[in-house]
Amino acid sequence: MALAAAALSAAAGEPTAASDKPAAQQARPARNPIDRWNQMSPEERERELSKLPPERARQIRERIRRYNQLPAQEKQELREGYQKFAQLPADKQEIVRQSMREFRQLPMERRPLVRRAIGQLRAMPEGPRGARMNSEEFRSQFSPQERQIIRDITEYLPGQPK
Amino acid sequence: MNCPMQHRNSETLMAYAAGELDRETGAAIERHLSACPACRSKVAGQVALWNALDIWEAPPVSPDFDRRLYRRIREQVRLSWWERLARPFRPMPLRQALPLGATACLLVIASFLIQQTDGLAPVQPRSEVVRADQVERTLDDLELLRQFGPANQAETSRADTM
Repeated sequence: MALAAAALSAAAGEPTAASDKPAAQQARPARNPIDRWNQMSPEERERELSKLPPERARQIRERIRRYNQLPAQEKQELREGYQKFAQLPADKQEIVRQSMREFRQLPMERRPLVRRAIGQLRAMPEGPRGARMNSEEFRSQFSPQERQIIRDITEYLPGQPK
Repeated sequence: MNCPMQHRNSETLMAYAAGELDRETGAAIERHLSACPACRSKVAGQVALWNALDIWEAPPVSPDFDRRLYRRIREQVRLSWWERLARPFRPMPLRQALPLGATACLLVIASFLIQQTDGLAPVQPRSEVVRADQVERTLDDLELLRQFGPANQAETSRADTM
């Protein structure tokens, strides 16, 4: 019975208790709500989803399935990023959320530029980063809205891309 | 011969008084009794007891003994529900009440200590229930964070949805 349940979970792209713990994850100090969700029994998950409208529940199922199918390395990086994000004060979390939503509203052709700038700035020490953002070159490259997005995310989104 | 009374061997004197010793041992006891007032007194008392038992006759049972016995049993059976309920709570002799009271006190103290220990014991990990809307919010955050994760730094047209 347990084997059948594990096989069904694996077929649905949901990690079982054993397969959900790659070596890199063992050192993870806290579990995010998705990990905890994956640890719940299928009956518990369905009971919780049944409290939402069917379409919304379906979307959540699909999004969790996609999350569970991400490569292990990417999932681990997301976990670490989320853990740091979750430690921010609520107001700063909201600033980051808002900036990231605005980023998604940017024209498609501008997003790679802004994303690359954010990556470069997050990898820089605080002093040079401030100098770079105040430079004339930087100002000329990005609009005020883009600069604000870059500033907020760089300042509040913890951690640096590897 | 060693004095049976001094050596806590009064069974030999009892056996002598009952006429159960062999001739040789009996003769040795007689020689000792002539010189030992304590053993002589003990034997005299035992012999008197045997003699008294020999002449004792049990008093005859009265003709209405059975009738009175059964009447008392019927009276006990006819006790009102209240008397039967109160019977266990009748005052009991101190000799019986003390051990019971001490046992009850020990049980109370033990249960208190067990409760204290339970409070300090580590909580067994168990599956926590996560609400579906909490999962949805986390998915939103992970999706936003994923845009700026290392996996997306080099890519410009990666799907933003998860």
